[in-house]
Amino acid sequence: MFSKILVANRGEIAVRIIRGCKRMGVRTVAVYSDADSRSLPVTLADEAYHLGGDRPAESYLNKEKIIDAARVTGCEAIHPGYGFLSENPAFARMTAEAGLIFIGPPADVIATLGDKIAAKKLAAELNIPIVAGHPAPVQSDEEAMAVIEKIGFPVLLKPAAGGGGKGMRVVMQPQELNSALKLCRQETRKAFGDDSIFIERYIEAPRHIEIQVLADHNGRVIHLGERECSIQRRYQKIIEESPSMAVDEELRRKMGAMACDLALRAGYRNAGTVEFILDRNQNFYFLEMNTRLQVEHPVTEMVTGLDLIEWQLRIAGGEKLTLKPEDIRLTGWAIEARICAEDPARNFIPSMGLITRYAEPLGDNIRVDSGVNAGSRVHVFYDSMLAKLICWGTDRETARKTMIQALNGYHIEGVSSNVDFANQVINHPAFIRGELTTDFIADHLLREDAKLPPPLEQLHCMVMATTLIYHLRVALVRNSLLPLKSQVGGAMTPEKYHDYVTKSENDIFNIRLRQMPAELEWEFQLGDKTYQVKTPPLEFFRRRLKLIINNEPNMFRLRYDGNFIEAAFCGIIRTFEIYEPREWELARYMPPPARRTRENVLESPMPGLVVEINVKSGDRVYRGQELVVIESMKMESAVASPCDGIVDSIHIKPGDTVETGMVLMGFK
Amino acid sequence: MEPKDLLAKLEQKSQEALQGGGASRIQKQHESGKLSARERIDKLLDPGTFVELDRFKTHRCTDFGMSDQKVPGDSVVTGYGLVNGRQTFVFSQDFTVFGGSLSLAHAEKICKVMEMAQRVGAPLVALCDSGGARIQEGVMSLAGYADIFLRNVLASGVIPQLTAIMGPCAGGSVYSPALTDWIFMVQNTSNMFITGPDVIKAVTGESVTKEDLGGAMAHNAVSGVAHFATLNDEECLAKIRELLAFLPLNNMEDAPRIPCTDDPGRRDLNLRDIVPTDPNKPYDIRDIIRSNVDNGYFFEVHEHFAKNIVVGFARFDGAPVGIIANQPSVMAGCLDSNASMKGARFVRFCDAFNIPLVVYEDVPGFLPGVHQEHGGIIKHGAKLIYAFCEATVPRLTLITRKAYGGAYCVMNSKHIRGDINIAYPTAEIAVMGADGAVNIIFREEIKKTGDPQAEKNRLVDDYRDKFANPYKAAELGYIDDVIDPADTRLKIVSALRMLRTKQATNPPKKHGNIPL
Repeated sequence: MFSKILVANRGEIAVRIIRGCKRMGVRTVAVYSDADSRSLPVTLADEAYHLGGDRPAESYLNKEKIIDAARVTGCEAIHPGYGFLSENPAFARMTAEAGLIFIGPPADVIATLGDKIAAKKLAAELNIPIVAGHPAPVQSDEEAMAVIEKIGFPVLLKPAAGGGGKGMRVVMQPQELNSALKLCRQETRKAFGDDSIFIERYIEAPRHIEIQVLADHNGRVIHLGERECSIQRRYQKIIEESPSMAVDEELRRKMGAMACDLALRAGYRNAGTVEFILDRNQNFYFLEMNTRLQVEHPVTEMVTGLDLIEWQLRIAGGEKLTLKPEDIRLTGWAIEARICAEDPARNFIPSMGLITRYAEPLGDNIRVDSGVNAGSRVHVFYDSMLAKLICWGTDRETARKTMIQALNGYHIEGVSSNVDFANQVINHPAFIRGELTTDFIADHLLREDAKLPPPLEQLHCMVMATTLIYHLRVALVRNSLLPLKSQVGGAMTPEKYHDYVTKSENDIFNIRLRQMPAELEWEFQLGDKTYQVKTPPLEFFRRRLKLIINNEPNMFRLRYDGNFIEAAFCGIIRTFEIYEPREWELARYMPPPARRTRENVLESPMPGLVVEINVKSGDRVYRGQELVVIESMKMESAVASPCDGIVDSIHIKPGDTVETGMVLMGFK
Repeated sequence: MEPKDLLAKLEQKSQEALQGGGASRIQKQHESGKLSARERIDKLLDPGTFVELDRFKTHRCTDFGMSDQKVPGDSVVTGYGLVNGRQTFVFSQDFTVFGGSLSLAHAEKICKVMEMAQRVGAPLVALCDSGGARIQEGVMSLAGYADIFLRNVLASGVIPQLTAIMGPCAGGSVYSPALTDWIFMVQNTSNMFITGPDVIKAVTGESVTKEDLGGAMAHNAVSGVAHFATLNDEECLAKIRELLAFLPLNNMEDAPRIPCTDDPGRRDLNLRDIVPTDPNKPYDIRDIIRSNVDNGYFFEVHEHFAKNIVVGFARFDGAPVGIIANQPSVMAGCLDSNASMKGARFVRFCDAFNIPLVVYEDVPGFLPGVHQEHGGIIKHGAKLIYAFCEATVPRLTLITRKAYGGAYCVMNSKHIRGDINIAYPTAEIAVMGADGAVNIIFREEIKKTGDPQAEKNRLVDDYRDKFANPYKAAELGYIDDVIDPADTRLKIVSALRMLRTKQATNPPKKHGNIPL
């Protein structure tokens, strides 16, 4: 085993590797950019080495600097994590040439499997099914037409040089082809400086299934079962689980065997993942092989009980793979949610800034792999993923329920996050039924007509949480100030019960609240339903509230603004207004609060870099039309026009840095 | 007359008064998004506690056919009741009666509750919705205004006076609110100005809407006249109740304590990372405040004005405090004229009503500039110094980062009777930032060296090591302690507990002469 390794990464994966090494008694060196000088990995590692610069190219992508760092600090090996240099054959080669061990497969294997054509060829030789398509990138439109004639619609256009789903486009009908090709080309050229694209048959309602493999130096390969990563947004995985509801023992055996064959034939070493696409009829097709540790590796760890980092280090250190296929059992079910700094309410634009409050869920069968803390800064330069929440249960439903409560209590302030969005996903009936496809989010959560009203039971819980908090605050002030009152003005007799009217959007709830003889116990009457509610002491006013409702513990996150209380629970975010009966009578005279918005200007919704301006002064624009493209945290987002009008003035040019709220354009 | 009839007559007269200007005018009031005068009182006070005074009082004007237009109670509802179970006096102008205009009788009703509030020692809440003077009454109406102004001033510093502008408030009527402690405004339905848009248009030719000239945001963000901008009547009245819960009934009482439901010794490790070590990086001071105070509940006042200083109320250990904090995320938290005035007024209010002060300091100095100098930053800055020097309530200071130059002295330093002054390890207590200091001290030396930038960097680091820390000040006793940020809450709570019995007085005088 190594005595000291360098972790060439940042964020949660750096923390994960450092923690893993600590358990094994391996010392670690973290590397960091200027922006990350106070980050969690830097404080946790035994040593930290400053790479300098903020941009990835100056720091985490700078091969020379990192290898120098490993040499200077006396490391024996480099763990690349995922992303950055993890699948860079040149880096693996340089590491080896510097006399260090690269924790991952050999450079030439990375090169072969990183080349999509070569990888598919290899798979085809092994009779692993692949999606019908043209093996070579297509240059001209004519060539594209010829290829499509052969494989038939629908087709998927894929940039040859791309990855992570960037620039991919689905074409359902021949009429759409021309414009799709043009757009795909344009985007590809801009992003990768090369406009060749792949064309392949598009699989409808596909599921993303991948097999984790481990291989050692002696040609021993085993697989650790599958993961399903179908829940994706813009081809970025959000929710992953293991095992998959779509995979039975037979299919697992088949896919596993093929994944092992591929790894063996490619001369693979260390941990890797073979990705497949699975159609409605249990047909699967090879997609690609990832020659690194995957983001979602913890779900495999939770169901197999293995530590993949430990095995990566052991294999890289030359140890034999002593695990046998029969040792591998998938026990129970694990689900992972990626927690990202993004704003689901504003088209998932990245959110940056200081994390002012941060509290992770704790409990049995809950694991959080986090790269941040309160006080951490989320930067524009790096990926927006903050942490991963992994929950385990004896079966899928138990794991799901644990995750719901864990997400309910996951508290991040300062930056927006997708915590509630993830919760919305796992609360969706289609998710519960296991009807997953890679279009799940678009089909079930983003389409206006597919949106479901929140379940009444959950709304009731939120009503109780907000009303109780409101009641306690008012009562606390009123009762404690009572002794100071003068005798004039009528006595206040303690009431046996309290009536409230609580309003949220168009739902109105009439509530009767009764304090039970035991302190911290209440009875709620909501319509024809009665609930018994208990709360632990000292929870009021807190932004996380725990209520035991009819003997079930529930976590809520709350934000206060007078008698408006915003609650987040099970993926539902709602503002509740709480009134006493007389107040409610008067409230109907109140106009809806008027909020002034700035008219006739386009404001930047986030900080970032202007990539493109699609209009010029004098152009007529329509509400919703995308006018400017802003890049932030590696993501390009379009800013849409807030109104119909004519562009009067443009205050920016491509390459400008903009801040939130900055005026980009004026209209007339 | 039979006793039965006597009661019937009382009932009939009362009903007349309760209707104010009549159902159709009340409906109009609702249509414009406003509650009626009596509904506002209902919302403001605890249910069923309102006791009305002068229900049958009428105006005495006989000119212009006014003698046959009388409404019992005239255009204002006055009385007393409870807010959060505590005595409070209130008057609510009734726009449905003669447009809420101020007759002498109207003024007399107001003066009566004002005097009573002062005698009893309980806060006065004014709910304003008035078209202005009762023109038919001429100078009598003006006399009424002056009577009110006098009582506002006499009650100032004796009982808290709160005003909500819930409709028009023009001309002379603006001065009574201006003399009170707190002004609330409702967005879109309220406005305040001396001369309205029509007069401005006639005199200067400028055209401006009422909302832009004297609306809630104009006075909250631009002029600083008002302290709260609320969305509607409902929120406005709820906010008044919220504020009253922090205030004593009068200047002889302590601010009201409530049981503390938050652990006084609660540590917060997050605080160790919130203040950036780089002096040029901003952060939101309110994150620290919210972490420290009971239940994270910080009631900010004057939120939209001079955002480079944050003021508001919160509780420590259940007892209210006034918080004054430099805001590094706005103009680096430096003090300018507006911030000084905002801070000074808040300090004086807290001192008048026995509310301890907690200062969060991260200030690079006073804002330089011709505009500031000619605008009188000297006299405005002096107001803040004056207010702090004069204050006799318990006074705490926490220096989170920068405490530079004159601004260090001003922000409740030990030298001007700060009781307990503590600092974070990130504090830099110095005459100025390291960069500026090195430029002045070593100007010649830097020029002489071969590599001026490197030499300068070396000297800056050197200066920073020596002075950009809290220890120099601590050695001199100007700082009582340097603390682990995680322990802030406990340190503040224990200091406030210790200071609960503090006694301090100023020399007897008629009154000081604050640089106005």
